[in-house]
Amino acid sequence: MSSRLSYAVVLVPSTNHALQAETILTRQDIHCKLIPVPRHISSECGFCVRILQADKEHVSHTLGAANVHIAGIYDL
Amino acid sequence: MAKIVDARRLACPQPVIQTRNALQEANEVITIVDNETSQNNVTRMAQKMGCTVQPEEKSDGLYLHISKSGDVQVEQQSRPVSSPAADEPLVLLVPDALMGRGDPELGGILIRAFFHTLGEVQPLPDTIIFLNSGVKLVIEGSNVLEDLQHLSNQGIDILACGTCLGHYDLKDKVRVGEISNMYTIAETLLNAGKVVSL
Repeated sequence: MSSRLSYAVVLVPSTNHALQAETILTRQDIHCKLIPVPRHISSECGFCVRILQADKEHVSHTLGAANVHIAGIYDL
Repeated sequence: MAKIVDARRLACPQPVIQTRNALQEANEVITIVDNETSQNNVTRMAQKMGCTVQPEEKSDGLYLHISKSGDVQVEQQSRPVSSPAADEPLVLLVPDALMGRGDPELGGILIRAFFHTLGEVQPLPDTIIFLNSGVKLVIEGSNVLEDLQHLSNQGIDILACGTCLGHYDLKDKVRVGEISNMYTIAETLLNAGKVVSL
């Protein structure tokens, strides 16, 4: 794992939302990766979208414009 | 001071495992082998980790002088690479590009999650074998390619079945690991201490 980049995760209500978010962000050339929700954020099994911290605002705006419901963005 | 690994009379994959473990503790390792297969395997693994390898033939064996090059980035491990017992290699078998049965879309997500998670949990496998549709994960465009390359850079052997790659006509699209054959795959599975099959 790259230790020099600062990441954040976008939490979503379902796996389908995660896939949808990933598709939209990828189309906009925004760096993202589908990963399991880190254990310190949730003990439940689920997926989230890892993004660069620097892209938080851009991601929030892009997903909002595409009507993709997100549950929050958390720094890792 | 160089760490010495005497791998003479050791069967595959012991020379590779012991050399790799030694490289976690020392910047200079001298591995002594007594056959060409061991020489090739150890050399390949060390070069994949960014080390230089200088062979020196002596009367009692072939001495491989392995050195971590200062100007080449070597991925540092802060945890053990292989399972606790060095003579019991951990082998991960991936017979499909999906994980689990049922919804293929979910299967694709699960396997992506698995390979991402391999970078964060321990122990790491010593070898990962890809069979049948599993070989689709080592080719260009695979969405686990980056994770596999990261694992490969840490010295983990990645083997993809050549017959399977040929069947899917993907041999020229392999981007990580090496194209292997059933002899090596069978040997690796049978000599493993533990095989985890997805």
